[in-house]
Amino acid sequence: MRRAGLILGKDLRVLRRSPLLLAAAVGYPLVVAVLVALVGAYAGTKPRVALVDEAGLPPTLQVGNRVFGIKPAIDRAGREVHIVRLTNREARHQLDTGRVVAIVRVPHGFVSDLRAMVRSPQLELETSPSPFSGRIVREVQAFVYALNRELQGAYIGSNLEYVNLLQRGGKGTFLGRDFDVLGLGRTDRLLATEPQTPAVVSVRKFVRAARLALAQTGDALRATANPIALVHVPEHGRTWAFSAQVQAYALTLTVGLLALLLAAGSLAAERDENVIGRLPATIGELLAAKVALGAVVAATLGTAMALAFGIVIETAAVRGGEPWQRIPLVTSGLVLAGASLGALGCLVAALARDARTALLAAVALALPLAFVAVVPSDAVRVAGAIGSLFPVVHALRFFSAALYDVSPWRTLAAEAAWLVAITAVLWALARIAARRLLV
Amino acid sequence: MLLAARGVTRRFRDHVALHPTDLEVQVGDAVALVGPNGAGKSTLLALLAGSLPPSGGSVERAPGATVGWAPQRAGHYGRLTSRENLELFARLAGERDPPVRATALLDTLGLRDDARPSGVLSVGQRQRLNLALALLGDPDLLLADEPTAALDEHARERFWELAAARRAAGGAVVFATQAGDEPARYATRVLSLEEGRLA
Repeated sequence: MRRAGLILGKDLRVLRRSPLLLAAAVGYPLVVAVLVALVGAYAGTKPRVALVDEAGLPPTLQVGNRVFGIKPAIDRAGREVHIVRLTNREARHQLDTGRVVAIVRVPHGFVSDLRAMVRSPQLELETSPSPFSGRIVREVQAFVYALNRELQGAYIGSNLEYVNLLQRGGKGTFLGRDFDVLGLGRTDRLLATEPQTPAVVSVRKFVRAARLALAQTGDALRATANPIALVHVPEHGRTWAFSAQVQAYALTLTVGLLALLLAAGSLAAERDENVIGRLPATIGELLAAKVALGAVVAATLGTAMALAFGIVIETAAVRGGEPWQRIPLVTSGLVLAGASLGALGCLVAALARDARTALLAAVALALPLAFVAVVPSDAVRVAGAIGSLFPVVHALRFFSAALYDVSPWRTLAAEAAWLVAITAVLWALARIAARRLLV
Repeated sequence: MLLAARGVTRRFRDHVALHPTDLEVQVGDAVALVGPNGAGKSTLLALLAGSLPPSGGSVERAPGATVGWAPQRAGHYGRLTSRENLELFARLAGERDPPVRATALLDTLGLRDDARPSGVLSVGQRQRLNLALALLGDPDLLLADEPTAALDEHARERFWELAAARRAAGGAVVFATQAGDEPARYATRVLSLEEGRLA
């Protein structure tokens, strides 16, 4: 291992003397990390949903004694999805070509059903078979839920008018027919002027009981309409730019790609410089030096990034602060991830013919690995399965748990075990492939 | 016997670069390998140096015998200076005082002890560094592939003096050459290779 250490020292010295290479090596993965974060942010933006209005929705709609603005209702839904009004044909075309991910159709008769309050009007939702479909269904369900809550309020208000009419009496309208109601109050007053026979007394008792019961109807109706009410507390957490996930992504992608590229490039350079055949070191020691290079550079740069991130968090007084006591955990994860990616870089370099091919292959490999890591495994199961065979996914989970899980130990142990196992497998494969370095 | 090749052979896929070859190198030998381009000289030297694994046969060294290897294409780290290359290789080889040894070899081969990376040196200077690296550890057997091809007259003379000193100290030298007069002037044995076979 002494000789591996000497070769590592040489590599670090060469790296220090190549500021452009170092800048590119650090800058490139950072750019990729930012791009991936942007892609992640884009994934969190509103998907386009077509609204096909066959009912001819009016600007406002009166339900009971309440007037609804149609546009404000659509705007409220638009906080979650980007709604575009289209004709049925255009919406169908855009769904087929993927421009919109769903169609919400307001069918003929919707408005009259809504006004009449006799039967439930229906909205039709059509989704494309995309990873977004589940999300869209949830978004539209949430929209319909929110709309229903407002409508329930209007319906309850309307129904309570009839209850009030029964209590106080007066003129009313139902299904277009006018009628005059005596009302329980007026009934009681009328009966009070009559001789108080047992029958009249009994009826007055009933009237008073009915008035008491109907007085509770409003609260009871509201409670049964919304057994559980969700109260939205104003935004409380961090902005996404400072989220744990963004920090974990930045660490993983930057140091991961750097370790991969450096290990691959530096091992391939040994062959290009024609030193492997004369180096007083074994192939195993040479590979150990390159794996260590990945680990050392990843740990150094990654810890510096975590510290810089923490300083920004503290300076900006971002809610939650930086978990400084977890930084050593992050560093240990960086060592494991750097070694693992370093071993992968060694395998790439051993299989490649020269440094240029090795670097090209490393970049070609790095990009899909980076994207596989950020694709949610429950969205694309194949990507999740493939990703779990490589170190990037496990490094991401390790950093995420190390930084912000309340009880991270179980996850850390599992992901560390994965990283060690993957490193061992890649190391063994690199040892076999490294025979080509002597040819 | 310092080193012996027994039936050593090397194939590159379907191409046989060196057919089964036997060779023994004794103390005091200066063996010249001659032959046209592609005859198998470099392959044989790389096999003897252990920098290329044989496809068949074996290469045996006398117990404790050390080998210095100067490949045809200079092998050193281009971003390190000549001194840094020499010190690194000396440390890797376990030499006792790498800075002192590096200073001695820089002086012996006429290399400047400056801050220039070795990658920007002239071809001749790089070849001198190549030879200096092969001489680290005072090897018993010096294997050199066209060692004087890029050297000026003075450096050539210096190299042959160093080779003679190795032989006189109980070592030997095996070298490949295209220079017509070198086998006659400096070799005790001349082996001719053609199409991967000893003629």
